[in-house]
This record gives sequence, C-alpha cells and structure tokens, in this order.
Amino acid sequence: MPEKTSIGGAGLIGILILAVVLIAVPHLVSFSQQELLVLLTINVLVVVSYRLQTLTGEWSLAHVVMMGAGAYGSALFAKSFGFPVPLAMIAGAITAGVIATVLSFPLFRMKGFYFLIGSFAAGEILRLIWKRFTDPFGGPKGIQRIPGFPEIDLGFIHIDFYDPANYYYLVLVVVLVSLWVLYRVEKSRIGLTFHAIHWQDKLSESVGVDAFRYRMLAFVIASFFAGLAGALYAHYLSTVNPNQFDVNTMVYVLIWTIVGGTSRWYGPILGVVALTIVDEVILRSIGVDQVRPLLYGLILILAILFLPNGLESLVIKARDALRNRGGANLPNGQAVARK
Amino acid sequence: MPDFLLQTVFNASYAASYMALIAVGLVLIFGVMGVINFAHGELYMAGAYAIVFFYVWSGLPFFVAVALGLVFVGCLGILMELTLFRPLRTNPLGGLIASIGFLLILQTLAVLGFGLRNQNVPPVSQGRITVGGAFLTYERLYVIIATIGLLTALYFFLRKSKFGWALRACAQDREAAALQGISINQTARYAMFIGAALAGVAGAMTAPLVAPSPYMGHSVIVTAFIIIIVGGIGSLEGAVVAAVLYAFVHTFVTTFYDGVIANIVGLLLMLAVLVVKPQGLFGVRERA
Amino acid sequence: MKSASSISLTRRSLLTGAASAALLPLVGMPKASFAQENVVKIGFLAPLTGPVAAWGKPGLDGCKIWADWVNEAGGIEIGGKPYKVELASYDDEDDAGKARTGATQLIRENDVKFIMMLGGNSWPGVEEIAARQGMMVSTLLPSDLTPDTTTLIAPCEVHPIYNVTGVDWLAANHPDLKTAVVCAQDDALGKPSVATYLAAFEAAGITMASPPLFFDPATTDFAPVMTQLLANNPDILCLDTCYADYVQPLCEQAFQQGYKGKIISCTLDFYQRIVERTSKEFMEGVIFQFPDFDDKALNDPRINFKKPNEFFAEYVKRYGATEWSAVSWEYSSILDLWADAAQRAGSVEPADVLVAMKEGGKGKHAFGDARWWGKDLFGIDNALVGDWPVVVIRDGKATIAEFRSIPEWWDKNGQLLVKHMTDLGQMWNQRT
Repeated sequence: MPEKTSIGGAGLIGILILAVVLIAVPHLVSFSQQELLVLLTINVLVVVSYRLQTLTGEWSLAHVVMMGAGAYGSALFAKSFGFPVPLAMIAGAITAGVIATVLSFPLFRMKGFYFLIGSFAAGEILRLIWKRFTDPFGGPKGIQRIPGFPEIDLGFIHIDFYDPANYYYLVLVVVLVSLWVLYRVEKSRIGLTFHAIHWQDKLSESVGVDAFRYRMLAFVIASFFAGLAGALYAHYLSTVNPNQFDVNTMVYVLIWTIVGGTSRWYGPILGVVALTIVDEVILRSIGVDQVRPLLYGLILILAILFLPNGLESLVIKARDALRNRGGANLPNGQAVARK
Repeated sequence: MPDFLLQTVFNASYAASYMALIAVGLVLIFGVMGVINFAHGELYMAGAYAIVFFYVWSGLPFFVAVALGLVFVGCLGILMELTLFRPLRTNPLGGLIASIGFLLILQTLAVLGFGLRNQNVPPVSQGRITVGGAFLTYERLYVIIATIGLLTALYFFLRKSKFGWALRACAQDREAAALQGISINQTARYAMFIGAALAGVAGAMTAPLVAPSPYMGHSVIVTAFIIIIVGGIGSLEGAVVAAVLYAFVHTFVTTFYDGVIANIVGLLLMLAVLVVKPQGLFGVRERA
Repeated sequence: MKSASSISLTRRSLLTGAASAALLPLVGMPKASFAQENVVKIGFLAPLTGPVAAWGKPGLDGCKIWADWVNEAGGIEIGGKPYKVELASYDDEDDAGKARTGATQLIRENDVKFIMMLGGNSWPGVEEIAARQGMMVSTLLPSDLTPDTTTLIAPCEVHPIYNVTGVDWLAANHPDLKTAVVCAQDDALGKPSVATYLAAFEAAGITMASPPLFFDPATTDFAPVMTQLLANNPDILCLDTCYADYVQPLCEQAFQQGYKGKIISCTLDFYQRIVERTSKEFMEGVIFQFPDFDDKALNDPRINFKKPNEFFAEYVKRYGATEWSAVSWEYSSILDLWADAAQRAGSVEPADVLVAMKEGGKGKHAFGDARWWGKDLFGIDNALVGDWPVVVIRDGKATIAEFRSIPEWWDKNGQLLVKHMTDLGQMWNQRT
C-alpha cells in the first residue's frame, strides 16, 4: 500500500502538536496516571512489534513470552552477571531474538491455526521452564530486586529514573527509535516481501522468495523488540515472574492489536491507548469493582462488531473525507477523471 | 502394582472422557465456522453452574439438571452464533476477540450470580465398582458412559442425517457447501448448539467432582487446544483419539513424576506431533 | 439473590462517573470527604477480580463491616480527636505493575495512612514506593519480608509457620503415627509451607514415606495425585497449604481410594461439604489451622479479635456463608492491630503508628499477645507470632482443640526449619 513519503505543511503541524503532547503529557496527568503512562508506552512497543510479526500472515501466541525472555534475560544479565543496566537491556532483547531464531525451525513448519497453537505451546514450555527451575529463574515467585536504570547525575542536573515521569521520557525515546526502525523495515524491500508472502504465498515462492527465511526474519525482529519492551518493563518494576507473561497477557496483546487494526502501523497503537484508558482510567473511576471485566468484555464485543477493521478505520475514513473535500476544489478530481 | 496401574488406567479414562467432550465441541465449532472459540472453557463452566442452579438450588434430579444444562449451554452457543460469529463470519480474528469479550462477561456473571468461591454440589451417588484393588466411582463412571453415549450419537447424527451431511460439507469447504444450497447460517447454528452443548455436558457431569468456580474454564481451554491440534483440526475422530492419548500420557506422568512435568511433556508431545506431521494426526491440509 | 447488595452500580453513579471520567485524564479527582470531621483513610490493595480475587475480595468485605462498626461507634479516638475510618480500595489483579499504580494512587492521591495487601506477586511492584514514601504496608505472606522492607509487616497470617502447631499437637496426641506424605501446588504458597511441614514432621520424629509431591495449579483431576501419594501407605496424609478448590477433591480422592490414616491440612474451607461428600467417620479427627468464627472458644479473654461470633454472623448476613474464608477476618484483624497502635501513638502518621505497633517487641495478634519475630527466617523481626489454634473435626464440626505456641516450637526446633527452608530455596537470602 503506497503512502506519501513527503510530509506536507499540515503533516508537519500535526507532528509538532504530537511532539508537544508527548513531551507535556506526564505533567498533565495525576501521579498514578504517570505510572500508567510508562506501562502504556512500553505496551505500545509490544503491540507495534507484534504487528510486524503478523505482516507475513502468521499470528504468534508466543509474543508475550518473547517479551518475558527479554525481561528475564535482562534481569539476569544485570543481577547475576553485573552488566550495566542499559547493556543488559540490549543483551536481553538479543536473547529474545536468539530464542526466536531457534524456535523458528520447528514453528515455521506449521501454518495458520497450527502455527498459532504451536507458537503457544513453544512459549508455554519456555514459561513453564522459568516456573519449574528455581535456579536461576526464581521459580513461581520469579526474580525480584532487579537493579533499576542508573541515575544520571551531572552536578547541575539529576535524573532519577525511579520517577515515572523521567522513566517515561527514557521509554519514549527508546520506543520512538524502535518504531522508526520498525517503520523503515516495513517500508523496505524486506517489509514489502512480508506483505507479498501474506497475500501470495505460493506466488512469491515461485518467483524465488524463500518464505521460511522471511517468516523467520519477521518473527526474530518482532521478538527482539518485544524483548526490549520486556527489559524496559523489568527494570522499571524491578520484578519479573512467570505469571506476568502467561496466556492472559497474550490475550490482551491480541485484543489491543485487533481492536486497533493491523493494516496501518498506527492501528495497534490506537487500540492499546484507547483500551487502556477505557479499562484503567474510566472503568476504574466509576467504581464498578467486580463488574469491570464484564463492561470491558462488552466494549470489546461492541468495538469488534461496529469497527470490524479496527479503530484505525475511523482514522482512514476521516482522512479520506478530508482528502475528498480538498480534492473537490480541483478541477477534474481523480474520481471524476476515472469515469 | 497391577492394582496401581489399573487405578491409573481408570483415572486416565475419566480424564480422557470429559476432555474428549470438550475437545470435540471445540473442533466442531472450528471446523464449521472457522472461528477459534476462546470462550469454550467458559461454556464448560456454564454447564457446571447449570448444575448448581438446577440440581442444587432448584432440587431437580441430577440427570434432568444435566439435560437442562445441555439445552441451556447449547442456547448460549446459539446466542454467540447469532450475536457474535454471524456478523463476523468473514473475520475470524474478530470472532476470536468477540469470544474473549463473551468469556469475560460469562466469568463476571458467574461471580455476580454465585459468588467468587467454589460451589458445593452434593454427591450424586456414593457407589463404586471395584476391580481387584482398583475402583471407579459411579460419578466418574457416569461421565465415561455419557461421553461414549453422546459421541456415538453424534457420530451417527453426522453420518446419517441431512444436517450431519451439511455440517461435514461446511467443515470441508464452506463456499462449495453454500453453492450446493446448504444454508451456512442454519448449519452454523446447529454446530454452535452441539459444540457448546458438549462442553456444557462436560461441565455439568463433572460438576459434583470439581466444585464449580467462576474461573474453572481456564484450566481446560489450554488442554482442549492441545488436544485438537494433536488430533488435527477439523477431525472429530482425531480429537477423540488425541484426548485419550493426552489423558493417558498426562495421568501416567502425573502419577509417576509430577504434574508440572506432565504439562511440559504434554506440550512437547504436541510440538513433536506438529513437527513430524504439521497437520496433526488425523488432519487434512488447512484451507488457504 | 445475595449478590444484589454487592453491586453498587446505580444509574446515578454511572452518570456522574462517566462525566468525571471525561475530566479525569487531565486532573486527578480527589474523592469527596467530610470536611467537618477527621477522617483517616486506609488503603486496600489486593486482587478484587480474576482468579486470585478469592484472596482479596472477601477481605475487603470483612473490612467494610469493621469500618461500619467503628464509625457507628463514633470512630476511633486518636490524639484526643475522634476519627472516622474510610476504606480506599484498588484492584491490583495480582500484578506488580497494577499494584505499583494502585499504591501510587492510594498514597499520593487518596492520602491513605496505611495499606493492606495480599502480597506475593504484587508486593515487589510496591516495595520501593513504600520505602520512599515511608508508607506502612501489611502483607498476608511473610515471605515478602526481607531486611530492607522496614515498613512492611506481616501482623496476622504468619503463613506457613503456624502449621507447626498442628503437627506438634498431632505428635503429642497420636504418638503411634510414624510416617507421612505431603503434596502441594507448585507455587509461592506451596513451597515454604512444605518446608515447614517437613521441619515439623522431623521435629516430631515422623519420617516421610515419599518425597513431597508438587502438582500444577491447573490440575483438574486429583485422582492420579492421590494414587501416587497413597502408594506407600503413609500414616499421615498432609495436604499442605492447598487452595480450597484442591483440598476438597483431594479429600474425596483419599476417601474413595480407601485411605484410613490421619489427615492434616493448613486450611479446610467448607469442611461441611467435604464431610457430606465423604463421611463423618472418615473426616473425624482431621487437623487444620483455621477455626470457625462462631466457635465459642474464640470468646476467651486472651483473644484480641473483637466480637468474633458477631463478626461472623454479620458477614454471613451480608455476603452469604459460602463467601466466608480465612481472609474474611484476617484483614479486619490487621485493622484492629492498626487502630490499637494508632491510639497508643496518638497519631495516624505511618511512621508513628509503626513505632507504636512494634513497641517493646510485642503486639496484640488476633489469637493472643505475640512477639515480633522473623530475623532468622526473613532477616527482619516484622512478623507477629504467638499462639495459633489447632482445629480438629469432631463429629462433623470444627472445634478448637488447643492454642499452641509457635515461639515455643521455634525455640526448640528453629534450626530444623531453617534447614528445610534452605533446602527448598525459601530463605530470604536465597530468593532471587
């Protein structure tokens, strides 16, 4: 799907506004919402990397376990091997990528629903291993007291990353860079091949595309960034345990991604942002306690029934409407010319 | 030792029975509608709560309550089909999300209606049969008999009746079936009723043995997916064979090692089957 | 139906809620409070939804009764002024990230003076906030304690240490029983409990017929577990700290597989059902650690829990008998302890209350006066231990057989417990 690569004046203003909002937002919300904001920004990376994995048409249920691999890896590198935390985070992400590489060999023999459940089983085995082997994974209680991101002290400026606002900026930078990389990958030849494999599996193979290699590549890249998100998460909360990466969490990632929509890079972001605000802010504030999951379920159903192509379809429609209105001023608008 | 082995065989037969009911229902729904019903475990839970309502609270005879539970959960299935899966027919991932939403609703309704803690179901029978040193209680025996009975009935229904023929046609190729004049909507309704009812019966029959709780669906859904994958999706026979295989492996490993190892072995078994035969034991190649 | 009272969702609250929710992303919304009188807020941070909710929600329900009673009586007098008590709850869903968000909200937005938690998975997310804000927090799981957690207390459930009292009583009253087996779900609750039982059995001269059996928390059929446990014909079957969903089927399986020996367990929720599903004879003499709160023995003057029989009756009236569990009273008993300390401190500030609470190394535990202890096991003396009831099923009814002292056992056999905790990797300095 071709998109404009040059940015017009309106686009530039939009980006500026977005930048101001992203920078200002921690100062506009309450203390507890700052905490939510950090977790939400990490989850943005989780869903966007997940979308990249699904571009080839295969849906993995191991993505959250890959996030866990990054979290456990980074925690162990920092705690047991004394790596500096920033280095440990990257090492953790690489660990997730390496595990994904190994898992690719059995998993990509499968397709469709078989791959979905096969990836679940592979992930679950990994998770059960963390649970079963107390040394070094800590068993069901997991790893605790993971060192935090080191403070920056330059004399005149002192940044303590335990403060959610500061950690948010750190996460924001990492996530924005990651999003840019993921965006570039999708727009590159590799990304176009992912799309091609999805739509025309046999055809692309017949012209010499090694589908296995590209599926594996998508899985490994996605897992690397999921692992990075996991590392950001682990060093923020200072704890990881197997429950955090179970199928329930994976279900939420699926929900966010699909309710947001997957045809555009921003779809899953819309999903995770909207649903997190609904669940964690709105539903909690109306004091419905035990009914909260029911309302959330209802919202999911309504969202998928009325926006089957995701929240992104609203944006796409709005943009088309704007474009058409702009186009109406031109003599012989495209739609007319085609007739 | 022979008693010990025989006891383990009895234990495994019971586990195989209710898992087969759940898995066959799941496979039927997937086969006909192409949708992954994540709420299947909660249909099983709903069946168990139907027993709490009809048998414990209303005082109806147990097997009447099971029959009502079957109809009730079957109707829940039709409700899901009409409100969720039909509008999302061309959108299997949307169906998956809708079933997750439905799952959350059912869980919360169970908490609100019956409380958080597990429910008491008085024993249906205290009797048992004894073979040597091993034994099988009537309650477990009923589950095994009900499974064999229902699955046999389902087999003949699918082989002999017009609807069975339509169901199988839809499972093989939905578009082609539609061209043959088969009503997809009607067939889907039947499939959802039967699939959900089987899970409901599994929940109803085992309710006296497990003490129903709102989150009990969690513990069976994963196993059910493993079973239908090992058996090959779209294959009812495969699901039955895989349920028996999985239950025996899991029960024996639990008896001789421990339950966590048994879970890991179960997952490895599934991966091994998939690596050797990516379509499952009885599977056909998935439609593109 | 009984649940109607627990749904507080009215049309009005929904509308005002929706309206305020629209503003909420921009401004933190302080809950309206009574300006004319003093109010002290207590935070409740535990799972209220999801599979672990059974360990949180019944506790919140119990605390509501406690708060209603205190407020009807005119509040608590602290430093010469009457204070009304208000509960602020946050559903942490047993997740560290949500617990961290919840703790921030309770401390910095709701201005609570004390937080009660279930602990376990959620505590690590709160640890640093509690330390930085100097917030006093209580947990039901003493295994959360470390030398660094100076503001965390385990003032009620000293799980699993109290389990030694049951074994101690068993050995004293049934010296003929010589071999035991134990099983537990493989999680953070099961393991330290197994270590405790192993130590208690060793101290009592009882040998293990087979190694401890761990099963997966997702187990649905307990027949194979029981078949394996009974393979060596043990005299004592120990069900450890299994959840209620497991204890019942385990007992049934033991009954059906013809077990004739003694059963000892940490909990035995809904034992009436188990009696009904097995037999009175089979369940006669089963030992566990949680008394019914309508037990008259709890009216003994040494018990510090206020009006236990009335509390139980009120709880059953409000929420139904089937919702009652150990956590129903445990969080309330922590509130008793807190109120007592706040009165003595003459202040509601966490630091003052904590000092008053630990003054002299002694405290008023629900089951009698107790001492702050734990250095050898947790690295810090922040667990309150004293007597704990040994409960025995007699003629189908749970009755308190005796209150037995945990510190007395510890003084004699402490090193055994340390040894078994170390073997299972449960010491504070072993935890990763």
